[in-house]
Amino acid sequence: MSAELAPKVVPAGPALAMTGINKRFPGVMALENVDLTLERGKVHALMGENGAGKSTLIKILAGAYRKDSGSVRIGGAEADIQAPRDALRLGVKVVFQEIALISEFTVAENIFLEKYPTNRLGAIDWPAIHASAAALFARIGFDVDVTAKVGDLPLSQQQMVEIARALAHQARVVVMDEPTSSLTPGEVELLFTVIRRLTDLGIAVLYVTHKLAEVFEIADTVTVLRDGRRISTRSVSEHTEDSLIQDMIGRRIETLFPRARNNAGGVSILSVEGLSTDKLKDINFEVRAGEVLGFFGLMGAGRTELAKAIVGFEPIRAGYIVVDGRPLSPHDTRTGVALGIGLLTEDRKTEGLMLELPVSKNASLAALGEFASLGFVHESRERGAVQEFVDRFKIKTPSLDQEIQYLSGGNQQKVLLTRWLMRGLKVIVVDEPTRGIDVGAKSEIYAALDRLAGDGLAVVMMTSEMPELLGLSDRIAVMADGRITAMINRDDATQEAILNAAIA
Amino acid sequence: MPRSPSSSAGPGGKDLMAILTAPFRRNEAVLLLCLVSVIVFFSLASSSFLTVLNIANVFGQASLAMIAGIGIGVVVLAGEIDISIGSIAGAVGVPLVVIMNKGGSLELAMAGALVLALMVGLVNGYLSAYLGINSLIVTLGSMFVVRGFLYLYTGQRAIPDERGLESFYQIDNGRLWGTVPYPALLAFALLIGFMYVMRHRPFGRHIYAVGGNSDVARLAGFSVKGIKFICFVISALLAGIAGILLSSRLGSAVHVAGLGFEFQVVAAAVLGGVSLAGGIGSLFGVALGVLILSFLSNGFGMLNLATEWQLVVTGLIIIAAVAFDERRRS
Repeated sequence: MSAELAPKVVPAGPALAMTGINKRFPGVMALENVDLTLERGKVHALMGENGAGKSTLIKILAGAYRKDSGSVRIGGAEADIQAPRDALRLGVKVVFQEIALISEFTVAENIFLEKYPTNRLGAIDWPAIHASAAALFARIGFDVDVTAKVGDLPLSQQQMVEIARALAHQARVVVMDEPTSSLTPGEVELLFTVIRRLTDLGIAVLYVTHKLAEVFEIADTVTVLRDGRRISTRSVSEHTEDSLIQDMIGRRIETLFPRARNNAGGVSILSVEGLSTDKLKDINFEVRAGEVLGFFGLMGAGRTELAKAIVGFEPIRAGYIVVDGRPLSPHDTRTGVALGIGLLTEDRKTEGLMLELPVSKNASLAALGEFASLGFVHESRERGAVQEFVDRFKIKTPSLDQEIQYLSGGNQQKVLLTRWLMRGLKVIVVDEPTRGIDVGAKSEIYAALDRLAGDGLAVVMMTSEMPELLGLSDRIAVMADGRITAMINRDDATQEAILNAAIA
Repeated sequence: MPRSPSSSAGPGGKDLMAILTAPFRRNEAVLLLCLVSVIVFFSLASSSFLTVLNIANVFGQASLAMIAGIGIGVVVLAGEIDISIGSIAGAVGVPLVVIMNKGGSLELAMAGALVLALMVGLVNGYLSAYLGINSLIVTLGSMFVVRGFLYLYTGQRAIPDERGLESFYQIDNGRLWGTVPYPALLAFALLIGFMYVMRHRPFGRHIYAVGGNSDVARLAGFSVKGIKFICFVISALLAGIAGILLSSRLGSAVHVAGLGFEFQVVAAAVLGGVSLAGGIGSLFGVALGVLILSFLSNGFGMLNLATEWQLVVTGLIIIAAVAFDERRRS
């Protein structure tokens, strides 16, 4: 059995060599003459903004797309990847963000989905499946119950199952697409340990990300794509954060966190006293006009619950929420909005956007009443108002009629901001405002939030990203287990103090 | 900000609860308990319920729904639905009886019946799996088309079996050792066979995978369309077998035979814990669902509960069971 688990013996030379890859989609050159070489036992980071071509490149590797031209060589031999099963057969395993497992099946069964070991009668050999699966996890140094149902496991462990599947297929190349986007810091550490195990086994890892810090921690080499072209491939040690950002966006960002506002400390707009819900316990804070209050906490600390409770989407057990002197009565979802609180949810796709509706309808949803008389919406007034915000926030869209699903994440987020601003807000609550958004657009979102605070709004930001927390907040509230464990002023904030309070 | 001491319930108590409730997290265990409760209840309520003869009769009556239920279970686990089974079960009586009346052997007659079922299954499967038309619509359509042709051919009258072959009569009415009805034996054998396939053959697991997440199944290299296609064929053939038994039971090809049968079977499958979304449930659960509904119907009859009330109670039980199941899962 152990021979089966070992990577196939391959001749010297790169594990994977893609040369001169071209891929055209209608109206756009997605990849133009891209080269990428992965060395065995090394981690190669692939960076670039959304639309740079990262996804297209790995989908070609995975067999989801066909390249127009160029060559892919795996272990020195020309590889013809036409379908997903070809990729796996040739030793390339792509772990996508959307975990590709059957959630009703056990861990072990998922690993051997493609080829169930069977006995002489063709019946599935369950004991062998369980034993082999356990052996695979032992190899990557990860402890999991192989008889557990995958759907019952946290995402981080499902990822490990995908990685174990790579080993089961004797993959020589493992591609990971934004693997840490929903992991806690502890889970990220564990993932990195497993990645190092993979490289020790001689496996080449392609690590797709746009988190700079991770590249410096885990990668040996980094390739940057921009607009479908390869901009640079360099050893990580030759890079600085600035040089990487510059390669990615093609210009220098003077500052990722523009600060135009001067918070003279306005009047208190939002105050929360003794707030408790099923998950939250005795939350007290206030936010002044022109202030950004950042909330930090590890996964499960209660940030999202707090965001929803403030707006009124979560039943309140005890306590008060006062907006501009008016109390928010519990259990009434309309009150939060009516009093001038807006929420930008963490999950844009399911809780915020109506993907198939145009930009204009998505933007005007919360403010439709303002454009209506006698129950009819005046479309020209609606469009005029939306256009104003599109110009103000530089929302990139071909027209107001474009279905919002085709906009980039950053632009979608700006449309959602518009939705709330059109109502005339006093407080905006943003939950993970830049999740899945690339660096260039991030700085625009930050600028937009800064500007909102400058206009006198109270901004409450829930985030798990330390740089964004430190860069944007005037004050930082740290949460753990449904409570606020520390309230730190901007000038006194250090990563260490914040993390200590988050673990407390 | 001071932290108040943690006030969560003792972890020990939670573990004990987890251990005690563990068996009930398996759907089949709950169903088995329900079935036993139903049997115990009617045994106490009616003295003629718990007799070997009555229990054997219930199994015999349940066998048609059980056989068709296996087919529905397979289709629904693959993420599709087939509501043409009632029409198929009714329609196969025509070739069956007509071939025998014209002098054909029982074997030839049954082959003719199964060919008809197979044809409907192939069409259902092709339209649903390969053309991607919603299977509820496809099989709703074929339900009407098949029933319509059945009415046209029979002129809305039953076609009696004029040959009176003993072997034809024995198919449904014969009993092993004078007790166990043949159809119950057949249903049991088919159930065991299909349970084995669903659990221990790669093909069965592929059905679960396709119903659980067809994108993942496609990525794993399965022929999603081919698997779904075969499931429709299996369902139609099993409905055909149920139809042959039904004809034997009725001694003729009856134009209204199997009317409403599809919903009875789907209800049993849902009661048995099969998710209409696909990928969740088991054939054992379907069988238990069928048995629970059959014993209820039999018991209500013994208590002289009007059939109108039987319908009401059965409907309420199905809704309650599914609501309970939803809560248990979440």
